[in-house]
Amino acid sequence: MAGHTPPKRLQNYYQITGFISSGTYGRVYRAKGIKGNEGRTFAIKKFKPDKEGEPTYTGISQSATREMALCAELSHTNVIQHVETYLQDKTIYMVFGYAEHDLLQIVHHHSQLAQPRKPVPGATVRSILYQLLKGCDYLHKSWVMHRDLKPANIMVTSAGQVMIGDLGLARVFREPLVPLYTGDKVVVTIWYRAPELILGGRHYTPAVDLWAVGCIFAELVSLRPIFKGEEAKMDSKKNVPFQKSQMQKIVEVLGFPGEGQWPLLKSYPEHKELGTLYGAARPPRPMGLRTWWANQMKINNYPGNDSPGDQGLSLLEQLLDYNPETRLTAEQALKHKFFDVMRDGEGPGARDCFEGCSIEYPKRKISQEEYSQSLPGTKRSGLPDDSLRPPSKRLRDGF
Amino acid sequence: MGGNRNGAFQYQDFESPVLFASTLKLEGSKPFRISLISDPDMAANFWTSSHHKQLLDQEEVDVVHPLDKERGITLDDFKLIKMHMANYIWKLAQFVKVRQRVVATAVAYMRRVYTRKSMTEYDPRLVAPTCLYLASKAEESTVQARLLVFYLKKLYADEKHRYEIKDILEMEMKILEALNYYLVVFHPYRALSQLLQDAGLNDISMTQLTWGLVNDTYKMDLILVHAPHLIALACLYIASVLREKDTTAWFEELRIDMNVVKNISMEILDFYENHRMITDDRIIAALSKLKP
Repeated sequence: MAGHTPPKRLQNYYQITGFISSGTYGRVYRAKGIKGNEGRTFAIKKFKPDKEGEPTYTGISQSATREMALCAELSHTNVIQHVETYLQDKTIYMVFGYAEHDLLQIVHHHSQLAQPRKPVPGATVRSILYQLLKGCDYLHKSWVMHRDLKPANIMVTSAGQVMIGDLGLARVFREPLVPLYTGDKVVVTIWYRAPELILGGRHYTPAVDLWAVGCIFAELVSLRPIFKGEEAKMDSKKNVPFQKSQMQKIVEVLGFPGEGQWPLLKSYPEHKELGTLYGAARPPRPMGLRTWWANQMKINNYPGNDSPGDQGLSLLEQLLDYNPETRLTAEQALKHKFFDVMRDGEGPGARDCFEGCSIEYPKRKISQEEYSQSLPGTKRSGLPDDSLRPPSKRLRDGF
Repeated sequence: MGGNRNGAFQYQDFESPVLFASTLKLEGSKPFRISLISDPDMAANFWTSSHHKQLLDQEEVDVVHPLDKERGITLDDFKLIKMHMANYIWKLAQFVKVRQRVVATAVAYMRRVYTRKSMTEYDPRLVAPTCLYLASKAEESTVQARLLVFYLKKLYADEKHRYEIKDILEMEMKILEALNYYLVVFHPYRALSQLLQDAGLNDISMTQLTWGLVNDTYKMDLILVHAPHLIALACLYIASVLREKDTTAWFEELRIDMNVVKNISMEILDFYENHRMITDDRIIAALSKLKP
């Protein structure tokens, strides 16, 4: 009888071989397959239980529910492959395909390890962007926004396949039952956060993911985050402050947003805060994205024959567009001239970002210890869901 | 069980268009080529979804679990309890103020659970509120378990309905497993709005009638058996016959198998016909077989 078959146990099919990372959601382990899965490596995400019902009983977190719900429906070359889910000892385990690298490591390899410093090859950058946008386009066409794109969440296999990972903050944006802002007040790690979020936009769109893609692109080229602001922490009442430092970093490169470029600018709740940047003791003196780009090409010794070139700059300008309505969509970005050589997925590097690349990237470091130091920029600043929602507010929003 | 006096359940006050099969004439007509109405819904789209892969035949749904059979639960009882629990979820949802889509998802979860698990082991009085709890999370409008427990106690004073937060959280795990961790459910509502608009029937009266009909389909197992857009079409078909709207040409243009739509319509009408015979006593009797 179905109800009486003993449930499958994770440890009968997988053997943990190391610890990869940890976050607000829980921990990720590396595992090798046993019993029918021999020879394959997996990443197993173990979710932390939810606080409700403490101390004795715990529930399933919103983050786990989300990731379970979405991963079961999604399937794309450029989105992390979800293998199966286990529930045992009151804990959710999600099994994913494993990737040897991620973009954070690749950037780190170039900025810290390789001497003399060499840039990420132009062809590699192009292929990574192309595959990343393909995954993004698929998610958005499935009405899913990721909301936490950053180098640490972009996986790369040793075969050069780029995959978007960590859908713990992702959500469906079609006909939300409550405003997106009500669900999670803070989304996207600060350095990759789009200006409409910084200015307090309530009904943001998938364009927030494209801003993050722009930031990732810039980071691949410059080997450091383009807008490396400092996060203003929440006060004791959990009010979310204006992220002044982050906005300032953006303005220093792109200049102040204006209504000409962004007609709805003044409708954002925090747009007045921009004034505090003007009035600062040292008001930012914007350098412009073109100058920034030219500097990066120089600093990182991009060779003339293998640089992301003018088309790369043009794409970046359209991704880092202040106005979310005119910012390129993933679909539009894929049609940009920068990707002409990809010939709709048939060209060189369309599926393998290491094609023709002579650099040997070190494989992911796996620690045998659980509490290893995490790399900077890997922490998500998201809040536990619902922690900010007073029940009365939720009832009203409930329709 | 509290019964009527506690306001535990009264079918009369459940929002439902009052319909009688006799008012309708459903004639057979020539089949049309099946074509797929594209209805990209929540994540990804219906045709590639876990929902589509999990659709069952009616015969597979109408299986009483051996453990329940041992307790004397008949197929009628089984259906009755599921209907009662669908109403229960709906009632509870009104207290905690979540939208219809959350209710619909919760009812779909509950019905899916009982295609795999027994009511003996998975008491519907706990499964129902837990499904609402889980659905509220999956539909991104989380209701806190303690709020549910509070209203549970308000709705039912008797001890068979008395559950605490820990019970809900424990049952949630069991339900997740019973659902094979598939949480995305597609519903007829979106297709319905699109279809009404397309047919030029999106006036208030037709919208209300068809919407109410769709709500009522959750008292049956249709969501486990048929694609959501077909359920929507069946409701639209019934409503157009009732309100004497000529939709023949419009249905023809859709190029769907009209026999399927008419069969679903007949099922719905049969349900309304039988619904009139359902008394609270029958439900109490069915439920009491679970926990004497």
